[in-house]
Amino acid sequence: MAVKDLWVFSEKTSLQAELLAGARTLAEATGGGVAAIVVGDETSAKAALAQGADKVFWLGEKADKLVEDFVPTIAGLVQSHKPCALLIGASKRGKAVAGRLGAALDTTVITDVKKFFVEGDVIQASHLIFGGGAVRVEKSATETMIATFGLGIFEPLAADPSRQGEIIQVPFIEPKTRWTLRERKPKPPSTVNLAAAKKVVCPGRGLQKKEDLDMIFELAGLLEAEVGATRPLCEGLDWLPRERYIGVSGAFIKPDLYLGIGVSGQAQHTVGITESRVVVAINKDEEAPLFAQADYGIVGDLYAIVPELIKALKARK
Amino acid sequence: MNIIVCYKFVPDPEDIIAKPDGSISFEQAEWVISEYDLMAIETAVQLVEAHGGKVMALSVGGSQLSNSKGKKDVLSRGPDELYLVIDDALSESDTHLTAQTLAAAIRKMGEFDLVICGEGSADLYFQQVGLQLGELLGLPTINAVSKVEVADGKLIVDRSLEDEVEVLETVLPAVISVTTDINQPRLPTMKEILKAGKKPITEWKLSDLELAGKAEKRIEVLNVRSPKQVDRKRIKITAKPDEAVQTLIGYLSKEGVL
Ligand SMILES: Cc1cc2nc3c(=O)[nH]c(=O)nc-3n(C[C@H](O)[C@H](O)[C@H](O)COP(=O)(O)OP(=O)(O)OC[C@H]3O[C@@H](n4cnc5c(N)ncnc54)[C@H](O)[C@@H]3O)c2cc1C
Repeated sequence: MAVKDLWVFSEKTSLQAELLAGARTLAEATGGGVAAIVVGDETSAKAALAQGADKVFWLGEKADKLVEDFVPTIAGLVQSHKPCALLIGASKRGKAVAGRLGAALDTTVITDVKKFFVEGDVIQASHLIFGGGAVRVEKSATETMIATFGLGIFEPLAADPSRQGEIIQVPFIEPKTRWTLRERKPKPPSTVNLAAAKKVVCPGRGLQKKEDLDMIFELAGLLEAEVGATRPLCEGLDWLPRERYIGVSGAFIKPDLYLGIGVSGQAQHTVGITESRVVVAINKDEEAPLFAQADYGIVGDLYAIVPELIKALKARK
Repeated sequence: MNIIVCYKFVPDPEDIIAKPDGSISFEQAEWVISEYDLMAIETAVQLVEAHGGKVMALSVGGSQLSNSKGKKDVLSRGPDELYLVIDDALSESDTHLTAQTLAAAIRKMGEFDLVICGEGSADLYFQQVGLQLGELLGLPTINAVSKVEVADGKLIVDRSLEDEVEVLETVLPAVISVTTDINQPRLPTMKEILKAGKKPITEWKLSDLELAGKAEKRIEVLNVRSPKQVDRKRIKITAKPDEAVQTLIGYLSKEGVL
């Protein structure tokens, strides 16, 4: 590694805090410093120092620009300083910035990294492939590794407003192509936070119709659990919003109790539940793969079991 | 309008086999069009149905792409022409090499108004190729597109982010990556399947293209393993519903999760 610095970029402040914490840990191994690239006002630039950056490249306020319009400016910075890694927050916008940067810098991007570490002199990243069926460890073949990270990979440090550091103002480079923003439509605020839920009841395709969700929600209410789902219920059947599905392309959960009802247990789904403390499966097919990954399983028809379970839980109250 | 739709041919992720030594195998796997690209194909076909023009499907990859069933499959979903770049060097390509190859193929294909990609591939799911391709072609490019409209040489899209939807506009040509909920891809009809066999197919090798750089990858794969399995108790309860439920409740209260 020629340059040992690690850089961080995310338009989401909370994700930025996590990335900075992750970069700090790695910087100890590489012996380099940590810098943040910040789009926003001066307060945001200072906030990045408090979150753990030694240095901030301050790109100025967004004003009427899109975050994506800063790609040439960021590419220019990376080209002249050549940090050993650029950690980007894995929002949709972060992935767009990362992809365009990767192409502009003649390299590529490792997305949705789960583990990030230094071995010998080399930064390595692991992530899931084949819909969660395999874990792949990779390294960058170029000087700067660009990688994206979702929420929950690193623990943020407690913000320390007394931390000092350099804030470097960076002039904006006009992009060659642009999108004009016509309108912003807020999405209804998400009412579920599966990642934080202590208990999760998860119906799958074993459910025959949308109305049957009523008994699932009733059961969840009795257990004080959130309702998650397998992907087909959220995409395809559209019975539940996308943010409710668990798995490789959805949420990763770590509750004390996961209760899968009519869920077969395909890898794409079950990678999202491996950190659950107790896993329970209800399925009429004795051979359903979820049983092998469950602590307790009831072999039976969910339409008989769930009402019994509701009755029994009510009786306990 | 002329639309190029990019798709990847992948081993069906549901056919993956985890071996006892922790390695994984695809020997039994059927090769299919990556699920997420079916929505990209449908988007292209719907736009051409509404505005006229043609859809050109494009894929780059290893020898599996020569599979005639695969070629017929994609053409039966509505594209008018098929372009393939088949080369062993592409069989384990990274997103960089894939995007470079697609860009070179697109430059050779000629006039186009719009390039559409899927959200990510069903095997590796980097969600990068559309964005890298757009940047390499020097065109406006965006991801997470959940709605597309074309009017007077302009492209207007809904972009579905985590907490908001942006309505964005740009001038064609452009490169977009579409979400999986943009549409419900139709199933090929018998008529389309019969027509597919007569549609033109162009096949190239890497050496037929002018890549911007060398045909090299930018990541090195160090190892691939099946994920660690968590040890579970695997207690299976087979009894009448009321008894089974009582047994389960007994276990769960002992675990302290009720
Ligand atoms: C690239 C890719 C990414 C994916 N990402 C995800 C992801 O993030 N999350 C996800 O969930 N999926 C994902 N999938 C889909 C995944 O492969 C499975 O198709 C999906 O998880 C299966 O959902 P399921 O268990 O609800 O349905 P099924 O597999 O259809 O299982 C239904 C189960 O219900 C049981 N059943 C039926 N009737 C009853 C009854 N009356 N009582 C009791 N049991 C009953 C059946 O025995 C069966 O086991 C992905 C797929 C691909 C290819």
